[in-house]
Amino acid sequence: MQDADLLKLVQWLSPGFPVSSYAYSHGLETEIAEGRVTSARDVADWVGAVLEAGAGRSDAILMLAALRGEAEADALTDLARALAGSRERLEETEAQGRALALTLAALGEGDGVARPYPVALGLAARGLDLPEETVVRLYLQAFAGTLVSAAVRFVPLGQAEGQGILAALHPVIGRVAAEAIVAGLDGIGTGVFGADLAAMAHEDLEVRIFRT
Amino acid sequence: MVGRLCGEMACHRRDGEPSLGPEMLDETPLSAQMQRVAGRAGAVMGACGRLERLWQQGSAKAMLPRMHGRAPEVVFLNTAGGLTGGDRLDYRLEVGAGAHVVGTTQTAERAYRSGGGVARVETRLVVGRGARLHWLPQEVILFEGAGLERLLVAEMAGDAELVVLETLVLGRAAMGERLRDLRLTDRREVIRDGRPAIVEAIRLGPDDLTRAGTAGLNGAVAVATLSLFARDAADRLARLRAVLPGDGPVRAAASGWDGRVVARFMAAEAFPLRRAVARAVATLTDGPLPRVWQI
Repeated sequence: MQDADLLKLVQWLSPGFPVSSYAYSHGLETEIAEGRVTSARDVADWVGAVLEAGAGRSDAILMLAALRGEAEADALTDLARALAGSRERLEETEAQGRALALTLAALGEGDGVARPYPVALGLAARGLDLPEETVVRLYLQAFAGTLVSAAVRFVPLGQAEGQGILAALHPVIGRVAAEAIVAGLDGIGTGVFGADLAAMAHEDLEVRIFRT
Repeated sequence: MVGRLCGEMACHRRDGEPSLGPEMLDETPLSAQMQRVAGRAGAVMGACGRLERLWQQGSAKAMLPRMHGRAPEVVFLNTAGGLTGGDRLDYRLEVGAGAHVVGTTQTAERAYRSGGGVARVETRLVVGRGARLHWLPQEVILFEGAGLERLLVAEMAGDAELVVLETLVLGRAAMGERLRDLRLTDRREVIRDGRPAIVEAIRLGPDDLTRAGTAGLNGAVAVATLSLFARDAADRLARLRAVLPGDGPVRAAASGWDGRVVARFMAAEAFPLRRAVARAVATLTDGPLPRVWQI
């Protein structure tokens, strides 16, 4: 079953899965628009920081908690909502989670209940016969890929340059995944003050391509 | 504004009000021998802001200076002057139905080099029906090698108003200190009508102090979060945004959703951040700053 389940997970996490991940920049659009992120180096630093000390790590912990049934789904939903630090961050996790649950339900997977994205994904992945290391690494790579793709389109960067950034982030993804596996819900915490401010400031941007 | 909800009705305790519970009577003596600092202090302010109960133990103090007609201020103080590894400090402030109370700290709280273990500071706030609590402590200053675990839990009734300010200063900026080593976990939870409304969990270690790029601290030594939870929070967002600094040494932004407004600040110097935060607090609370603040 593992091979079939791996294909399922890769499909759910692919940029083509209709959760509109291309529409969310997590605040990166603000940084690019205001000239704080202008190069491949800046993008790699920004996405790396968000993976290690921001929503990457926190959402990975939430996703694992849902996968393991560490807490009730409703309690995890409340926690994920409460952890959203601004209006658009909440929209980003709720809208994508809702779309994920609906699409999965259409495929005969899951209960179709709208929940924040990491919770919805973790619940869906419960039915997969895959090691949690695999699930969390692919989850983080998909998140990083979304941000890099936003940067490629908006900085802009070359396609190959973007893929180079993502490839260079593989060690970070491995490290964050390993940490998330042992952290537990009490280990949730972030230190990306700049990214959090950027997400808030995005609400006020005059010209916006991305929803967040 | 003070006492606007303190009519005849509001002055009687009602069923279902977040409990000014009996668990508070359980003041287990702390085994202080092993600890350099151990303290707990708290106050229960009844309806209309009358002091119902006050307790203090060890190095923690809670005081109520005369306010001459202004909303009562409960001022907390750690007389030990700072915290280090193994220290433990507990503050609690409860505000009864309809009352308006300001809570603050007498001075900045200093977390010194840990010397092993972490210092733990826990703050519990309870805000009853129709009550207003403005929790406006002064900043926490983290010294090189500090190990600090903070937890703030605020339980509020759905129709209450709560303002929470948290300011962290990394190192003694006036001395040009740049931190290289630090362990901080700082979790702030607001529970409204029994459900988590916000959880802000900050986690800082040595890697965060040197992280490249603009997503992290990026050279900032002072950060603050100012939150308002109130039925009319959305109405105050535009006014708050109008007083946030645009260009200059302080980066700030605000957001509003689901009956709350949150503003964040970061700066490479503490003083301009303090000034920007003070302005935002005055706007958001529509009242004077705590008297012990020195801006």
